[in-house]
Amino acid sequence: MPEKQHPANDHPPVDVVGRSLPRCDAADKALGNTKYAEDYFLPGMLYGKVLRSEHAAAKILSIDTRNAEKLSGVRAVMTAKDVPHNETITRFGQTHTVGGFEGLYRILADKKVRFMGEGVALVAADTPAIAEEAARLIRVDYQPLPGVFDPFEALKRGAHRVGEESSNLVCYYKVRQGDITEGFAASDVIVKNTYRVPFQEHAYIEPEAGLAWIDDDGVINIQVCTQVIEHYREIADVLGLSYNKVRVKGTWIGGGFGGKEDITVETYLALLTWKTKRPVKMAYSREESIICHGKRHPYIMTYKTGATREGKLMALEAKLVSDAGAYVYLSPWVLLYSTVGAAGPYKIPHVKIDARTVLTNNTFSSAFRGFGVPQVCFAYESQMDELAERLHLSPLELRRRNYLRKGEATATGYVLEHYAASPEAAEKALEALGEKTKSKSPAVKIGRGIGSSMTSYGRMVFLHDTSRSYVGMELDGSVTVRCGVQDLGGGQASSLAQIAAEILGVSMADTRVFIADTALTPIAGTTTATRQLYMSGNATSMAAKEVRKNLLDKAGEILGAEPGDLDLRDGIISVMNDPSRSVPLNTVVRACASSGISLFHIAQFNAPARELVDFKKGQGQVFPDFTFGTHAAEVAVDVETGKIDVLKLAACFDVGKAINPQAVEGQLEGGTIQGMGYALLEDVILDKGITLTPSFSEYLIPTSLDAVDVRCILIESGDGIGPFGAKGVGEPSLVSAAPALANAVRDAIGAGIPDLPLTRNAS
Amino acid sequence: MTQMEYAKPRSFKELDGIFESAKGPLRFIAGGTNVVPDLRAGTISPRLLVDLSGLKEMAYIREVKGEIAIGALSTISDILASRVICDKAPLLFQAARHLGSPLTRNRATIGGNLADASPAADTAPSLLAMGAMVHTRRRRGKERTIPLDRFFLGPNKTILAKDEIITRITFAKPKDPSRGRYLKLGLRNAMTISVASLAVSLEPEGSSFGGARIGLGAVAPTPVRAYLVEKKLASGAMDPKNIEACAQLITKEISPISDIRASADYRKRVVAVLFQRAIQAAVNGGTP
Repeated sequence: MPEKQHPANDHPPVDVVGRSLPRCDAADKALGNTKYAEDYFLPGMLYGKVLRSEHAAAKILSIDTRNAEKLSGVRAVMTAKDVPHNETITRFGQTHTVGGFEGLYRILADKKVRFMGEGVALVAADTPAIAEEAARLIRVDYQPLPGVFDPFEALKRGAHRVGEESSNLVCYYKVRQGDITEGFAASDVIVKNTYRVPFQEHAYIEPEAGLAWIDDDGVINIQVCTQVIEHYREIADVLGLSYNKVRVKGTWIGGGFGGKEDITVETYLALLTWKTKRPVKMAYSREESIICHGKRHPYIMTYKTGATREGKLMALEAKLVSDAGAYVYLSPWVLLYSTVGAAGPYKIPHVKIDARTVLTNNTFSSAFRGFGVPQVCFAYESQMDELAERLHLSPLELRRRNYLRKGEATATGYVLEHYAASPEAAEKALEALGEKTKSKSPAVKIGRGIGSSMTSYGRMVFLHDTSRSYVGMELDGSVTVRCGVQDLGGGQASSLAQIAAEILGVSMADTRVFIADTALTPIAGTTTATRQLYMSGNATSMAAKEVRKNLLDKAGEILGAEPGDLDLRDGIISVMNDPSRSVPLNTVVRACASSGISLFHIAQFNAPARELVDFKKGQGQVFPDFTFGTHAAEVAVDVETGKIDVLKLAACFDVGKAINPQAVEGQLEGGTIQGMGYALLEDVILDKGITLTPSFSEYLIPTSLDAVDVRCILIESGDGIGPFGAKGVGEPSLVSAAPALANAVRDAIGAGIPDLPLTRNAS
Repeated sequence: MTQMEYAKPRSFKELDGIFESAKGPLRFIAGGTNVVPDLRAGTISPRLLVDLSGLKEMAYIREVKGEIAIGALSTISDILASRVICDKAPLLFQAARHLGSPLTRNRATIGGNLADASPAADTAPSLLAMGAMVHTRRRRGKERTIPLDRFFLGPNKTILAKDEIITRITFAKPKDPSRGRYLKLGLRNAMTISVASLAVSLEPEGSSFGGARIGLGAVAPTPVRAYLVEKKLASGAMDPKNIEACAQLITKEISPISDIRASADYRKRVVAVLFQRAIQAAVNGGTP
């Protein structure tokens, strides 16, 4: 088993890391100069359009494309039979594949459709209007099938089979620790509830878009907003091309949140440009985006939790069922996150968890910030507050008595190797709410609640995750970073600049990061799983240190000093104890260049690699590490109308080390408000698979008048496994916001609501 | 491909000319905040789109001899910026403030808000509660005046003929502008379609409610007046017992539906709450 790497912890930050410097992408975004995927044009380009299924479940009897092909200005019409390899398998991004849960999906529907909005045919035409008209002219004869839209119905014998397999069950995980019979027998109070959470839509500012062309070397280029440029391999597989014949270049992204983790427009673009030999652009409308891309999984969760009268948790039994929708996509992995996270940040001796994910003819579910953890967090944190009430303990006190600490084992038997900040975070989050607001009306009740979570950062350890980064010092002393990171708007690129600048003693302004190009930047893996700062931050740090070492060695020769005694900052290398002995960085760079010493390095960072866990007992290490934190909320509930006003929100997280505190706060604020939307408003409503909320008129997300100023408190334990001891915070920032709000509402009205969103129609 | 023609008359005379030569269905557009999304979604496909925004004489807000007149092309932002509305018809101001977003308010016109005939039209309850009249014009200058409570026929249906446009909305200046209250309940704090909305306008006489008018939104197929409640309010005393009884009655006078925003039962419950709060605030002063 390889040793864990902590590549940067021996370099205490001095100048650049830890400061709220303007992000390298900030000014252009503020000025509106940044180009997003839809902003690119090429001469002679065509416009692509997808014809989508109007049925959630139907047989395709025939497709007649003749009228579409006859329309003037139409350059290509494609159906499943025109796709060289129409069926593909989701392989979870990187080089190390894990068997078992490969999810089949189709580029275009073939013989049957499994959900409303599934792609059936592609068109490329001279204008968007012609493309739309052509799509309308394609005649598809469907034979509607009954379909199945509820996961429990889908599990019944004789249920409509969504896919080709004999059962709609995708997978089933178990966790078995201790003996729950014994645990419940030893409990004085037992609380049992069934919780339901809805589909959630990512609602990024930027819908899916891209532009593809074939370059002079015959390589298919696809410029697209994606969280995973590494889909180039799957695209090549679809076309039957070798992997070096497809290049994906990622653009700056207007939000991903997991919704751009699966392939969106890129395969369609590749097919159309391959067929027409012309550049093709495709951009989804908002409605199309909402209808066709994967959602956060709805879950039905039955939780039974037992505790002693002293407030010691004894047993937990949880049954989770999630709606995978019409195709597998990432559902097995999302379910695994839920399973491992189902017991929360608590020490519970007896645990039994049964988790299933099931195909239905609903829109498919897949990755969404939190990846299966927000659902279970809502359930276990609701349980905690009901238990606290029954035990006459404050919600904080009950949690304090049960939080996992470093060195203690989780429900899946993993002994926490790093600082677990839960008690500290909960106290600070609650404290940040300040004095309790007084109600101005008898109809308005004020309530407070907290939600705690432990959320992994970095991918599952059996995936053997890697990232690579290039760091080079140019002859003028400026620094170039090349890294295949996709920047979703979370500062993924800028934090690499900050790390490289810190280690090489230059300013942020002298550092340039080139990102997200499978042809030119070292492959850095997905921007998912809260992994980029951890993975690519470490890779960048490792590469920068190699360059730094070469610089200091040469400077040592020049100054007649030991390299270990030298300091590099602000473009000057000096002897630490005698700063009068110094040499400008530029002089050292030239000396290195003329003596053949390399001033670049490509480093690969390997995450700790472990064996696959046993899914029958759910014991073993699944994640590299966790981020601990708590949200706190204060709400005013109008008990006569049910209106919930959020008065205050606080988020306290152990981020390990804030590379850029302002960027971290940005993540915390964004995640908290997105979690607030999940708690109070957001609900993709489907009726027999038909989306009733296809636009922002029906699918409501918080506006600026609904959001409040999130009070962010950063704990910097330095005990993370990212660069400078950083942890990840992108996903954790959302996970516990909804239960904090739900618990605040419970506190206000004296009763818990087991369903999200907390709508006023709930009785 | 469906071809749509576009015309932008600069005068009523030009408009008449368009009517004479029009073939096939036409559709009017002013601010476009409803029509453009419908066109894009393909839910309407007129042969001819007649843009009324060139009829500049229809953009004004003025008070003449105790009557307030609002040209149909006045935008919601115009209404919010109008001293006349702010001082003399704050009930409409309160409603306009909650319509859509600043972007929508800058484009959406009051004529369009009524002509679209959404059951949840934001300006309708206040205009109903002020007894507003809709003035229209047909081809060759035929005009008529329709009381607003007879204007709406159903969801997105009005009494307007195909060649008829709203020219202005008028109402008598409220006797006591401080006695009007508008309450809107949506699912969030901005850019929200009403789950229920209510406007009350009182003209108390001594210890009785006197002339009370109540306009309701999103609780029936069209915006409606609550006539039974108005009558009961006027016939009883200005006391909590009467208000309570009227709150009971109002739930019977409406016919809300269940949709993705709220259930019919919820709408009934909250209308009674909104009613009590609005009446109390209108009687006692202060914000509900």
